[in-house]
Amino acid sequence: MTTLQARRLCGGYGARQVVGPVDLEVEAGSCVGILGPNGAGKSTLLRLLAGILPARAGEVLLLGRSLSSWRRREAARVVGFVPQSLSVAFPLTVVEMVMQGRAPHLGAWQPPGPADEAAVEAALHEVGLGARRDVGVHTMSGGERQLVLLARALAGQPRVLLMDEPATGLDVRHQLALVDTVRRLVATGVGAAVVLHDWNLAARLTDRVLILQEGRTVASGPSGEVLLPEILGAVFGVTVDRLPAPGVPVLVPRGATTHPPTES
Amino acid sequence: MKRLPDVVLGVALLAAAAASLLTGGAALSAGQVVQALGGSAPPEVEAVVVSLRLPRLVLALLVGGALALAGAALQSLLANPLADPFLLGISGGGAAAATLAVVALPAAALGAVPLAAMAGAAGATTLVWWMARGPLGASSTRLILAGVAVNAAASAVILLVLALATGHRLPGALAVTMGSLANASPASAWWLLPYAVLPALVLLHHGRDLGLLGTGEESAAGLGIDVPVVRRRVFLASAALCGGAVAFAGVIGFVGLVTPHLCRLVWGPSPRRLLVRSGLAGAALTALGDVLARRLVPGAELPVGVVTAVLGVPFFVALLRRSA
Repeated sequence: MTTLQARRLCGGYGARQVVGPVDLEVEAGSCVGILGPNGAGKSTLLRLLAGILPARAGEVLLLGRSLSSWRRREAARVVGFVPQSLSVAFPLTVVEMVMQGRAPHLGAWQPPGPADEAAVEAALHEVGLGARRDVGVHTMSGGERQLVLLARALAGQPRVLLMDEPATGLDVRHQLALVDTVRRLVATGVGAAVVLHDWNLAARLTDRVLILQEGRTVASGPSGEVLLPEILGAVFGVTVDRLPAPGVPVLVPRGATTHPPTES
Repeated sequence: MKRLPDVVLGVALLAAAAASLLTGGAALSAGQVVQALGGSAPPEVEAVVVSLRLPRLVLALLVGGALALAGAALQSLLANPLADPFLLGISGGGAAAATLAVVALPAAALGAVPLAAMAGAAGATTLVWWMARGPLGASSTRLILAGVAVNAAASAVILLVLALATGHRLPGALAVTMGSLANASPASAWWLLPYAVLPALVLLHHGRDLGLLGTGEESAAGLGIDVPVVRRRVFLASAALCGGAVAFAGVIGFVGLVTPHLCRLVWGPSPRRLLVRSGLAGAALTALGDVLARRLVPGAELPVGVVTAVLGVPFFVALLRRSA
């Protein structure tokens, strides 16, 4: 079953089109990786999929219904969104921040109930922050904040999980824990789309991969068929070696073949 | 013990109200004030309490509550601890229009000064919003920058008006810029009531949304908040609160900026808990400030804005150092 689908989706900011047209399907129980060089439009695509940025052309279908016909709060009950970063203007604790994930399920004047508390506890436990629940988020490192954001999305018990570079700032152990957490969720039928920079993390985490370049899809398909040295090398402008390793092969960039594009 | 701060706040509010009703030119006992409120006092005592002191108390509570509530909401909305009605030019626009009206209107039309202040605040709000609007709606940074610009323009207008004002109109114009509750009447309290209550309900309705906005726009949008709609409603509701306050009491500084910070140190940053407490604390602080403004110097009345600042700043500094 398809949870989230993009059809000829285009979007951008002001006069500038950043993404499109892109086709994408996020099946229930599978994880799609979105990869591409800096400025390829990965985060913009994720915002379009989440409905944070309205589509200019084409459409997004959430559970078969056009996303533009969903009320924002209703959509947020189904779609968990993990932004790239978090600003903390005022010092919230971890548990307060994770409780924000229940906001789409609560009325404006309604205080959180036992079901909300239980969902928050489960999410904290899932990402391993149970013991740090009363710590101020503003005192935490970038990697720990990333885990808080993931827990906040999980507290909403989403059917679709959209994550923008969730591994940024995570050490190796936490990256592997992130892979485990997302794979566990996916095994329960959640559909996930994840923007990633790390090819090897993508190889471990995702079932399918979509590679963007200048807003357009240049490759998409099962991860094992797309994460290949010739494709990655051409898109990222580097030479790539594929080293055999137990489980998933390891992709190692060796050297640049072209200079990165610069603004002229 | 979790309830203790709430109890302290309630006691402070009642104490400030009682002190306010016992303060004034005529020496009245607590018993006389209670009798007057119950309608069983002599007419001259009842006139003092019901027509002068009670409206002044109600106005102090409404103005202080409005400023502090608006400050708390704007700080969360813009994710900026410096935000308040003054920074955003709203109070400045109201004060500029009010001083202009005090100086320029014929004596018979001076009753229209509050209307001018409201129009000025509404004009400043519109101008700030128009300047800040971008392709993705009005961003926090642009709103603050636009507010600073409008505020500077308003200050220039006020100074110009004060420089050109002729003798007998000058005190009235100065009173607007320094803040005063001396013109309170039953009518002004009734006028301000809808300006305080309706926007306050809008802000409380969006309490949880404001908490989400404090973590960034994208983060809030991902949790189902329609960011442009919430931002517009909260900004307009805050502007209405400030406009009403300036119209009837002039510029009372400090309450809108510092009261929310005081409350945040006690109750934490969640706007759902913070907004109501900020409003009540601002009401208590302003009522208390007005009592001191009338009592500190015998025979004279100090500007209430000066008193609220003198009252709150040391307290605020102490709390800030303790929490550092």
